[in-house]
Amino acid sequence: MVELRAVRHRYAGRVVLDFDQFALPQAAAVAVVGHNGSGKSTLLRLLALLERPTEGSVLWNGTVVPRRPAASLRRRVTLVEQRPVLLRGTVRDNLVYGLEIRGFGRSAVNGIIGDVVDRLGLGPLLGRRRHELSEGEIQRVAVARALALRTDVLLLDEPASSADTAAAGALYRALAAERAARPFAVCIASHQLEDAYRWADDIRALADGRLSPVTPENLFRVELPAGDGMKHVHVGGIEIVLITERAGPAVLAIPPTDIFVSREPLASSARAWRSSGTARACTFGRKWGAWSLSPP
Amino acid sequence: MDFLAEGVRRAWGLLIAGDSEVFGIALLTLKVAVVATVIACTVGLPLGYFLATRRFWGRRAALTVVNTALAFPTVVVGLLLYGMLSRRGPLGGLGWLYTWQAIVVGDVLLALPIAAALSAAAVQGVDPRVRRTAETLGAGPWRTAWTVAREARFALAAVITAAFGQVVAEVGAAMIVGGNIRGSTRTLTTAVALYTSQGDFGTALALGLVLVILALVINIALQVLQGRGNG
Repeated sequence: MVELRAVRHRYAGRVVLDFDQFALPQAAAVAVVGHNGSGKSTLLRLLALLERPTEGSVLWNGTVVPRRPAASLRRRVTLVEQRPVLLRGTVRDNLVYGLEIRGFGRSAVNGIIGDVVDRLGLGPLLGRRRHELSEGEIQRVAVARALALRTDVLLLDEPASSADTAAAGALYRALAAERAARPFAVCIASHQLEDAYRWADDIRALADGRLSPVTPENLFRVELPAGDGMKHVHVGGIEIVLITERAGPAVLAIPPTDIFVSREPLASSARAWRSSGTARACTFGRKWGAWSLSPP
Repeated sequence: MDFLAEGVRRAWGLLIAGDSEVFGIALLTLKVAVVATVIACTVGLPLGYFLATRRFWGRRAALTVVNTALAFPTVVVGLLLYGMLSRRGPLGGLGWLYTWQAIVVGDVLLALPIAAALSAAAVQGVDPRVRRTAETLGAGPWRTAWTVAREARFALAAVITAAFGQVVAEVGAAMIVGGNIRGSTRTLTTAVALYTSQGDFGTALALGLVLVILALVINIALQVLQGRGNG
């Protein structure tokens, strides 16, 4: 659907993005993970056709996007920024804004808004203005405003950063429901890998503007046997003991960001998951979780 | 101090009686000020938006020129315009010298930098995310500009008020290119200057009062409009 090729992007002479290819296929769900300042937001702005890469090209369905993309093309993609703002007016005015630009009629607008409002539980907020909303509510309205546009590509920059656990869950459920009803490509930038690997088809790590894949193989991942009670599973040479309450099969997965190696004695809270051994190879940064640990 | 009290009494009398000359001068002043403000703001506000939002070579220099033009002396503008509009000047063929149109041109030249520089500052004061948000929602350049303008509405209303204030109070250029001709190019400010020099303090004060009332009415009207657009 949308693809970045041979991109090297600079701000004031400093290279902020530098990679060969990043593709967001049709109807795919891709997560981009990385620390603050790793280039996630810039990557999303390039995908949203808001900025042009200093070097390299942006392709839409295989065709190079011109320097000034047509309005009809720009309206097929939308982005929700990390700290979104609401425009002047009520929440409803904000939801209507992009639909009006696209020339939707009044009844179509009402139908679309009704859908997203139900899905994200925004009913009580419709008549409120931005100064009457919390950060989390503004973020939810911004996501609803983007979802209402029914674009082919939806880009979300840390969409749950101001949401509590319940609101974040509602947000991801709404996204899943929307994708089930209408396939569209979604790319979410997040610094929380645990959010990303839960719903994304593909995870890319961004560090210092460079991309590397984070596939489920990089995760500690093991299928749990069916049945409830205590289970002993082995991941490599490490034994993990856990208790499950559900009878069906399940998956245990530990994201690489939660794995750390320490020479020093561990704090009590981390000791329960400790595995002692000798580190043979340990590479962090561009290759996520490429490491091996010999059991004692 | 008696002459002051006498002046106020005479001013009041002229206003109550609805003196036709005072009325004519006030009407011309209003016409010139409104036309000049509309032209200056129609050009100056988009120019200010452009300077505030676009990155192009020479932008800083353009902003410096506009900001410098804010302090341009009105008599110098009048003098330059006189040279342009006089029979031997490049625009002499228009035959505008000593007409109300010449005063409008002078006023536009003086109000344009105000409209451009202050609106650029007003737009720069708007959260940059507003413009990006409008763009991500599919707004084209005009709709985006309108969205940003709505966010900066109070500052932009102040810009229009400042431009109108400059135009309505201007005397130097109006005197030079208008010629202060009775019944034709005599505005409130040039008339005040003339009557004061002639010792007719009462008429001068009456015209000064009209000028103040005019400015007050326009300001109140703009504030009412701002209030309506609140929220």
